[in-house]
Amino acid sequence: MSVNYEQILEALWETIYMTGAAFGFSLLIGFPLGILLVVTRKGHLLENEAVSKMLNIVINIFRSVPFIILMVAIIPLTRLIVGTSIGTAAAIVPLVFYAGPYIARLIENSLLEVDKGVIEAAQAMGASPMQIIFRFLIPEALSSLVLALTIAVVGLIGASAMAGAIGGGGLGDLAITYGYQRFDTLVMFITVAILVVLVQGVQSLGNVLSRTVRRS
Amino acid sequence: MDKKKEGSFLSIISKSMRDTIDLIRSITAQGGSITMIQFEGVAKTYQSGKQEIHALNGIDLTVETGEIYGVIGFSGAGKSSLIRTVNLLERPSSGRVLIQGKDISTLSSKEIRTIRKDIGMIFQHFNLLNSKTVYHNVAMPLLLAKTPKADIEKQVKDLLDFVGLGDQAQKYPDQLSGGQKQRIGIARALATNPSVLLCDEATSALDPQTTKSILDLLRKINKEYNITILLITHEMGVIREICDKVAVLEAGKVIEQGSVFDIFSNPQQPTTKRFVRSVMNDELPESLLAQIQDAKSDNAIYRLQFTGNSVGKPFMSHVSRDFKVDLNVLFGNITELQGIPYGNLIVEFSGEPNEIKRALSSIRDSNIHIEEVNNYVS
Ligand SMILES: Nc1ncnc2c1ncn2[C@@H]1O[C@H](COP(=O)(O)OP(=O)(O)O)[C@@H](O)[C@H]1O
Ligand SMILES: [Mg+2]
Repeated sequence: MSVNYEQILEALWETIYMTGAAFGFSLLIGFPLGILLVVTRKGHLLENEAVSKMLNIVINIFRSVPFIILMVAIIPLTRLIVGTSIGTAAAIVPLVFYAGPYIARLIENSLLEVDKGVIEAAQAMGASPMQIIFRFLIPEALSSLVLALTIAVVGLIGASAMAGAIGGGGLGDLAITYGYQRFDTLVMFITVAILVVLVQGVQSLGNVLSRTVRRS
Repeated sequence: MDKKKEGSFLSIISKSMRDTIDLIRSITAQGGSITMIQFEGVAKTYQSGKQEIHALNGIDLTVETGEIYGVIGFSGAGKSSLIRTVNLLERPSSGRVLIQGKDISTLSSKEIRTIRKDIGMIFQHFNLLNSKTVYHNVAMPLLLAKTPKADIEKQVKDLLDFVGLGDQAQKYPDQLSGGQKQRIGIARALATNPSVLLCDEATSALDPQTTKSILDLLRKINKEYNITILLITHEMGVIREICDKVAVLEAGKVIEQGSVFDIFSNPQQPTTKRFVRSVMNDELPESLLAQIQDAKSDNAIYRLQFTGNSVGKPFMSHVSRDFKVDLNVLFGNITELQGIPYGNLIVEFSGEPNEIKRALSSIRDSNIHIEEVNNYVS
């Protein structure tokens, strides 16, 4: 094998770091956007056609660009933010642009599942829009939100491996540099195995968490 | 004073004058107590694509303080649209809704939230938070009002005891039956100590027995807390069970309204008659109908309606003694409406037409309502 275990461990850590950081930032952007997408809809709490249309267009644009292209396309922006376009930190920027709008959509979907009657009951008891969002919508959707975010994390793990293709580090980088370019099948096998275990773990954790928050 | 200021000053004066007039009017209308809800020419038009749906077409209704007022109508009549204008879940397209003399359409959204705390609402599908315990569901309005925790605990406990769920506080809604869920809904609606309770088909998802127990609870709320209740339903049984007054809604219009007793004992409109017949069980049995149609034409069949003090008068023996007619009771029942006895008899009169005529007019004189059955049947 052309790599040692330390290199594998480091790559694993880089993947976790990239995914985690990208997830954090994406959530920061995607969560409020997801809520906005819902409440500005027609007939909803804060109906606003202009905001709703604009958000939808912007999010659709980002969602329609393949990640590998997005990564290359925003290199100048990445340089501006991180100072370089190569390395783990630099990979986080395109990941956030990829996952932020994705999470916004996922959150929109989950919140839309909440029974309209519950929102009506909230309005009838004199709740303000903020109270309705935080005391009714989010708690009622929490279980489904957790599952949705699990999907986002799994997606990010996959995308972060792709980020390795442009020297972002992590398991994807390892697999391409050693497994593919140097024909080391064992390295390829090990990195894929680790990714599979990682995704399984995240999904199981998400399932358990979703079940525990169903009732709060 | 500059022009702009003057304008707004005048508009404030005229608005407050209008409010005062509304208030005085609503007080004088009902011997000193304030009218709770007043609909004035309320119309609602929905835009559905290019199509306009006229759900309400000029509703005028008055709900007095302390009443249980029922609005009945078939599906799509506009009942939900109507009740939802009271707490502005729907805004009227035109007309006004006054709550205790106050035109609510002129309120700011903050004022609307305040007035909504004085108007409880319960729903056909309960609309509870499934992620929260029974306790938390009932506590929610108090949490929103930032009530201190100790007070919340005490009030929720009292409310749950009142609705008979004292021992279910830590359960979740999906662990309870429909009737119990509606009790949570009722406790939640009462948490802010409202003056009005709106019930949107509150028993329509429940079986008859559970319906009765929920209606009993609503009556208790009305009596013990003097909470005015406006309810909408498509079931005439609900109206008969607890309402003082009723309005019949059809195609967005009130086609008939009055006290429950008057409407049940003397419905005018065909739709009202259908609703009344759906619960009064005063339809002639099929076999009897056939028999009547076969019978000799000189026998006259009449429906006699007794109300209040005319029930229990020994009119039959009087009539057969005073006139040369024979009476044959084909069908009869006595029920109670709002505590007043109400009876129905189908009687066959045989004898000389002239004698029958005299007998009928004597019966009329003793306050018994008479209708020829053949008309009724058709
Ligand atoms: N939000 C809405 N948009 C369009 N049409 C509506 C809406 N709500 C109700 N309607 C229509 O208005 C009419 C009255 O509805 P509703 O008030 O719900 O009647 P009911 O409660 O008596 O069944 C129906 O024809 C219904 O389809
Ligand atoms: Mg309805």
